[in-house]
Amino acid sequence: SRDKTIGVAPGLLSKYAPSSGDKWTCLDGSKQISWKAVNDDYCDCKDGSDEPGTSACANSTFYCRNDGHIGSTIPAWQVNDGLCEAACCDGSDELPGVCPNRCKEIGEAYRTKRDAERKLRKTGAKIRSTYIAYAHKEKKRLELVLQSNVQEIALQEKEVERLKDIAERTESISAAALEHKKESPLYQSIIKHSNALKSLQREHKKHLEREKALGDILDALRKGYNPNYQDMAVLEAVRGWEYLAGLPHINDVGKEDSEAEGDGEVKEVTEEPVAEVLEDGMWSEEDLEKNLDPLLNTDYVSLLLEHDEHVQTPASESVLFDLASYIPDSIYPQYEELKDAVISWLEKLGIVKPSPDAAADSSKARQVLTDAENKLNDLKRDQERAKEDMEDIFNPEGFGSEGEWKKLDGMCLEKDTGEYTYEVCLFGEAKQKPNHGGSTFSLGKFKSWNPDQDVPVGSPEFYTKQTYKHGTRCWNGPERNVILELSCGLENAIQSIIELEKCEYQFTVTTPALCLPLDPENGKDAGREEL
Amino acid sequence: VKSHDFKTCSQAGFCRRGRALASRAKEASSWTSPYSIDLSTIEVAHDSAKFTAQVKSSLYPDVKFGLDVRLHTDGVVRVRMDEINGLKKRYDEAASWALISEPEVSKSMKWSVGKTEFKAKFGEGQDFEIVVQFNPLKIVLLKGSKEQIVLNGQGLLHMEHFRSKKVEVEGEPKPEGSEGVEDAQTVIQVKPNAWFEGEDEDAYWEETFGSWTDSKPKGPESLSVDISFPNHANIYGIPQHATRLSLPSTTGESPQFEDPYRLYNTDVFEYIASSPMSLYGSIPILHAHSAESTVGIFHSVGSETWIDVSHATDKSTETHWISESGILDVFLMPGPTPADVFAQYSRLTGTPVLPAHWALGYHQCRWNYISSDDVRTVQKRFDEEGMPVDVFWLDIEYSQDHKYFMWEPKNFPDPVDMINDVAATGRHMVVIVDPHLKRVSEYPVYKEASERGVLVKPKSGEGEYEGWCWSGSSSWIDFFNPGAWDWWKSLFKPYQLASGGWSWTQSTEAVHIWNDMNEPSVFNGPEISMPRDNVHHNGWEHRDVHNINGMLFSNLTYQALLERSDPPQRPFVLTRSFFAGSQRFGAMWTGDNLGTWEHMEVGVKMVLANGIAGMSFGGSDVGGFFGNPEPEMLVRWYQVGAMAPFFRAHAHIDTKRREPYLLDQPYKDIVRDILRLRYTMLPVWYTAFRETTVTGLPVLRPHYVMFPEDKNGFDVDDQYYIGSSGLLVKPVTEKGATEASVYLAEDQVYYDYFSHQVYRGSAKGKNITVPAALHQLPLFIRGGSIVSTRERPRRASTLMKRDPFTLRIALDKKGSARGELYVDDGETYSHRNGEFIWRQFFADKGKKELRILSKDLAASRPSDAVDGVALKSFNPANEFAKSISGVRVERIVVLGLGSKPKSVKVEGGQTLEWEYTPGVASNDKKDGAAGVLVIKDPATSIANNWEILVQL
Repeated sequence: SRDKTIGVAPGLLSKYAPSSGDKWTCLDGSKQISWKAVNDDYCDCKDGSDEPGTSACANSTFYCRNDGHIGSTIPAWQVNDGLCEAACCDGSDELPGVCPNRCKEIGEAYRTKRDAERKLRKTGAKIRSTYIAYAHKEKKRLELVLQSNVQEIALQEKEVERLKDIAERTESISAAALEHKKESPLYQSIIKHSNALKSLQREHKKHLEREKALGDILDALRKGYNPNYQDMAVLEAVRGWEYLAGLPHINDVGKEDSEAEGDGEVKEVTEEPVAEVLEDGMWSEEDLEKNLDPLLNTDYVSLLLEHDEHVQTPASESVLFDLASYIPDSIYPQYEELKDAVISWLEKLGIVKPSPDAAADSSKARQVLTDAENKLNDLKRDQERAKEDMEDIFNPEGFGSEGEWKKLDGMCLEKDTGEYTYEVCLFGEAKQKPNHGGSTFSLGKFKSWNPDQDVPVGSPEFYTKQTYKHGTRCWNGPERNVILELSCGLENAIQSIIELEKCEYQFTVTTPALCLPLDPENGKDAGREEL
Repeated sequence: VKSHDFKTCSQAGFCRRGRALASRAKEASSWTSPYSIDLSTIEVAHDSAKFTAQVKSSLYPDVKFGLDVRLHTDGVVRVRMDEINGLKKRYDEAASWALISEPEVSKSMKWSVGKTEFKAKFGEGQDFEIVVQFNPLKIVLLKGSKEQIVLNGQGLLHMEHFRSKKVEVEGEPKPEGSEGVEDAQTVIQVKPNAWFEGEDEDAYWEETFGSWTDSKPKGPESLSVDISFPNHANIYGIPQHATRLSLPSTTGESPQFEDPYRLYNTDVFEYIASSPMSLYGSIPILHAHSAESTVGIFHSVGSETWIDVSHATDKSTETHWISESGILDVFLMPGPTPADVFAQYSRLTGTPVLPAHWALGYHQCRWNYISSDDVRTVQKRFDEEGMPVDVFWLDIEYSQDHKYFMWEPKNFPDPVDMINDVAATGRHMVVIVDPHLKRVSEYPVYKEASERGVLVKPKSGEGEYEGWCWSGSSSWIDFFNPGAWDWWKSLFKPYQLASGGWSWTQSTEAVHIWNDMNEPSVFNGPEISMPRDNVHHNGWEHRDVHNINGMLFSNLTYQALLERSDPPQRPFVLTRSFFAGSQRFGAMWTGDNLGTWEHMEVGVKMVLANGIAGMSFGGSDVGGFFGNPEPEMLVRWYQVGAMAPFFRAHAHIDTKRREPYLLDQPYKDIVRDILRLRYTMLPVWYTAFRETTVTGLPVLRPHYVMFPEDKNGFDVDDQYYIGSSGLLVKPVTEKGATEASVYLAEDQVYYDYFSHQVYRGSAKGKNITVPAALHQLPLFIRGGSIVSTRERPRRASTLMKRDPFTLRIALDKKGSARGELYVDDGETYSHRNGEFIWRQFFADKGKKELRILSKDLAASRPSDAVDGVALKSFNPANEFAKSISGVRVERIVVLGLGSKPKSVKVEGGQTLEWEYTPGVASNDKKDGAAGVLVIKDPATSIANNWEILVQL
């Protein structure tokens, strides 16, 4: 019979010896059996420990010594099944004579591969260290940005205060008069018309977008029509769309010699529509497209004032109001203040009517204020972002505890697979761009690192996966998503793209950011490694 | 389902006519069949039990029909009727495809000719009698004096003769309702035959459905026949329908379904889980059953057929068969037991083929594994998780533009390497090949088919029919054309052909084939199939052969695989479409089911019903083809699948990946255990398959087959036995179940397979409640059975060949048990040369001892040992037996032993170690866990005779 210790891992060898009376106790202590029952190809122990060398216990493991290579452990179900396992290059898992000892060649191949991997990692780690240096630099830069930003923000806040003050005063003076004018039935009606027109335009645009989206959907349906659905309704929809859009039937496309690859060649089958006869003054489609927007952008307040001007006698053009042009810039604000005070007083007495300039001035002041406020908001947003970046830069859930991923923030990688070019901008968005026309689809935006709950945050394995979620929804399917499988490599590059199930993409990406420096001791203890 | 894609009876002209005929008969105060035998034309064969006669119809005195009635040696009565010298010819070749050979007509039985009828007695004790009444024509099969089967008892027999279409004279307006009156002299008068045929020529010459028009060049030629079972209340069979095993009624008092059962092979998208609608396959055979006897009907007709079912009384069943074309060719199978009917039907159409052993393992499929690396990764994941699997499948996307055989080069750049990587672990691949060929000249398969002129033709009879399928514009091979046969077989050769013709060099013998879409499915055709007026070989219309079409495809593929290797390896061919006889070529599955509990449940019934019709090797897609099953459902479906003859997981392209290793815990561990359970039970499955290949008894046996006299079991279709193993399965198909109710039909002890809990049945039948939490599959061993298993987990079944056996002995009330085991090489046909072992195990308890024996069974019954041949003798020391003589019994588990034994030893050999767990005895009245004796490693060879003595 075979050696009783066959299949026993070196660390457990001492436990495989008979006790007095030739007994042996299962390693879990559950049972005492006779020593001859060890490795007798019958499972006695619940934990499988009595059969390290056979397949009798479903839950035991077999240790192959693999002399000349690295020892390894295989599950019991691979023992004595007639197959020569690569993991058991010494063939000890099978009956003698079944498998040759291939440890020499397998060991050599393994070492060659391991050395190449180490070399790669070593070089990659150098690049990685530059990423880390970059992160430190970036941190400093951000700190500076933050500092200077604080000052700028303070300044800008003051400026906004000042402008606000001016704008409000300007408005308060002119507001009452303007309000009065605005009560004009004509103005009210124009505003109503304008609003109606705007609403119509908005609705129209919505419909146009809907129509286009529907067209796109139907085009996709027509081209991608998957007869799997074997669905006559789908076929009818395709045919209906083709009739409406004047397209040839997709089933017929390419049937003739004039085969057009890819997008079904659009044959103009519809006759030129007879030009519509328009009533006098009615706008054509082209007019609508070109002229509606400018029309709607009309400054109705100015118009109102112009209108006033038009219907009233030009007498109100008083010298007083022309004075402005003669006032030096330096004292202009004071002058304005004075003027406003006087005019409002005159107005109250009914001596003069509010001037159109005043209203115009007030909207100008408002504009300046808005610009200043926008600038302030931009500054604040920049600061927020810089703060976030600062927080993320050495965050294990952000750019890594060493900041090694900061360098890759926003870096876009592309791969052309023939029909499509796939792109992922790291920590940004992944896209599918058709190479032969059609729409680009979002495959999702960066969502997280490795979502597997079992993988500790910040562990090397944590950084081997990224998820991009909530991309464009698939027709009749889920939203598109990407899982990035990252591994150490000298270049930041997409290696492969597969769609294992509909709209679930898996990109494999290499990056030096994952080339961890070799453990200096690693070289020495290779002999203890297990496969 | 898109119901409007498929016809109801009222949308099919001939079915409408058939049902109208039946309702006229029902409403008439008196009704007599117009058909009778012309006495002057009777000819009785002098050397065999066969007679022919002309049948005339009072409706059309000038039209003649030929009747041919034969008594086969096994008591089956065949009744054929065809029009004689008609204007055209009815299709009469359906039987030539379905039958294995021309059945032997009895020479010993004799007809006795009377004035009003023919009679013949036959059977043991002459207790069967067949009576053919002349006027009106009626055929009755009796047992004792009880009517078993009555043909045309209700006078619905009608064979529409061929007639000429009346050409309408131009400018002469015809009054409504006068169309098609036969005799110009009687125009405007009442149609004399209207009492029978109806007033109108309803859809005689043309018929539209949706946007399709069926041109019906031959005019009306439908066939109606009523077949009654005055003493049988239950009928089973006529698959494939998603409904109960005991078929619900379709006419009469409050029928469950409004439409008749339809047999018309169709690709039904998202089919309904309870419906008489036709599905992918059609087998026109049914069993009529009562506690007294079982009889069967097989109607060999390949055209669309509708079958109405009703019960005039609670003891009887009436069926009405309405076919679109073809001849009457009915086989009356007298039984009288279910086993007899199975044997009788098997002698006609053959038994299921013995599958390769590996085909009984687990099959992993998905639409689609997208690349050769994907296949490798899936294989790796199975291995890492210790989940056994035997076959990886590739659906249509492996092929370039759906040109089958042609690998898509970007994703499958190295197909042979991939196949070899799978085969390196003893596994196989199954690759899909569909019958539609993409119409592009650079596709060699299409090109060669086109050049040979073996494609189905359009109604003009010229050129190639063109339809739409996966591959876009496609044509279909006409397998009715013998010119297609050798060519098709040559395509599968994995090497270069000497002829220079194309062959699949990018494949190996480890690749087997999946034939899908062979109804045939045509996306832009009527009812997603071919126009009925398409033309096949010899000018037959598609309507004549539609239901047979799918079978020929899998038949030829089977032959192709058989011929590609020398010595031949057993092919595996999965087909979606099938007909009577398809069991000879491989496995089927229940098509594109949905991931719902209803579909899981009805799938079990469908597999049982298909087994009744000979298609034992079947299963439903584990997980459901459409949809994303939640983990609980997936686990239950694995339990269902593991207990089905064909065990395959499959998923639609739009579904999430759901390979079992992707499951979270605890589901993953549960499914791993189920997969391993399937593998431990492979000896049981294989032994059950051996039996069906010889006897035709189904692998899955419903209650009425097991206990024909137990009325309580006639409607039971949610539990079944596996072969004669004694294993009783009750799959759980209910969400959230924690227990299940199981019906025990007999006064016998049953043991829970896993816990050894004892359940005792009753002679009157008894329902028991058993635990059925998610990890628990209700599986029982019937007392009196010995079950052989191999309990070492492996990666694939082919790696288990040298693994030892465990025998599980379930003692019956009397303390005895027996069981069978069949083993051969599992791959070749060497078993037909006697290379196998067929063992029987016995256990018998006396007062002082329990004897356990292994005996050779083959030597005593060589002629019914294996399929395909009747061996004259058997050599127990054959080469195969020698090759496994080292394979031992490693464990014997005895269930139901009430007391601790004194000793255990091999007769004439060593004393054995054993362990005893106290518990109840098989003959106790008590419930509880059984007393269990485990005998450790008797080390007796599985191939040898031996005896073990347990001293009590």
